[in-house]
Amino acid sequence: MMSFDQVTNNENAGSNPHPLAPASASGITSDAVDLELLNAFEELQLDDGSDLIVELIDLYLQDVPQRVTEIREASIETEWVLLKRAAHNLKGSSGNLGVRQVAEICEKLERMDGHDSPQTVADLVRLLEYESAMANAALAAVRQRRLG
Amino acid sequence: MRVLIAEDDAVSRRILETLLRKWGYEVTTTLDGEAAWEVLQGPSAPSLAILDIMMPGIDGLELCRRLRQSQTTMPPYIILLTATQGVREIVKGIEAGADDYLTKPYDREELRVRVQVGARIIELQTKLAERVQELEVALDHVKQLQGILPICSYCKKIRDDRNYWQNVESYVADHSQAEFSHGICPSCYETTVRPQLESLQVSQS
Repeated sequence: MMSFDQVTNNENAGSNPHPLAPASASGITSDAVDLELLNAFEELQLDDGSDLIVELIDLYLQDVPQRVTEIREASIETEWVLLKRAAHNLKGSSGNLGVRQVAEICEKLERMDGHDSPQTVADLVRLLEYESAMANAALAAVRQRRLG
Repeated sequence: MRVLIAEDDAVSRRILETLLRKWGYEVTTTLDGEAAWEVLQGPSAPSLAILDIMMPGIDGLELCRRLRQSQTTMPPYIILLTATQGVREIVKGIEAGADDYLTKPYDREELRVRVQVGARIIELQTKLAERVQELEVALDHVKQLQGILPICSYCKKIRDDRNYWQNVESYVADHSQAEFSHGICPSCYETTVRPQLESLQVSQS
């Protein structure tokens, strides 16, 4: 799998029709989500019987598809302001929950503008979609485990 | 103490809300600057506001400016959540009217102590405002005993605001915090009391 550094530093990275196919990622990767950071929310658990971690995962999973769609559409239409805003929002929520790869890709996307080649931006968006899917699956698994 | 959180990201908002409730604050949340402005203009507005700098509609900076321009007696203490460590963004935030800032991602302990600083300043401002109010009331009393008082040239009664003639003693007592102790001055003793005592002695003998 390509890293986002490879994508942003290699203009030809997108020449492969499926450059981000999860050949090396056969399943949920352990680095998709920083579980230590996520589990640290355990100490904020209120005594009302609710599970804060499950609640945060639910909020995140509800929000991600819309953000990723906004980023994809804004990148196609080269709407840099919209792209930056959507990337900024997704970076914030991802960083909070320890979804590091997604947060880092969003940080790169936030800095994109008309000077970057369309191919670089498109590759980064595809990488985001892939990493986001991985992270979502990892979070869904955590959620499932917590709900027993 | 009541705290307002204005943050459009649901995850960040929920985390902030949980942290502040855990620390004992009463929390109100809004999703954008417009709703935050409405809450902060309300009758029981929170005294501390944590505003995300980047929000749809009115952003954090614009909200800071509006709040500082509004003529409220107790403006909220504002902590701005900034996206980057950049000095320019921080300067813009403080110039717009924020009291403090935190850069995302923030450290929870740093947030806790910065909110504590805000709470301490609000408490000082509240005490100061109470003292000012007390002084204004006291000054009001003093003012009532200044200016021209209509007094009767013969009986020395004073005409009050409702057109009643009051004796000097009750007028001053009503319009100030002064209290009277009663005695007899030497002149009145000679002119009034002594003749009365002498007359009494004569009548008894």
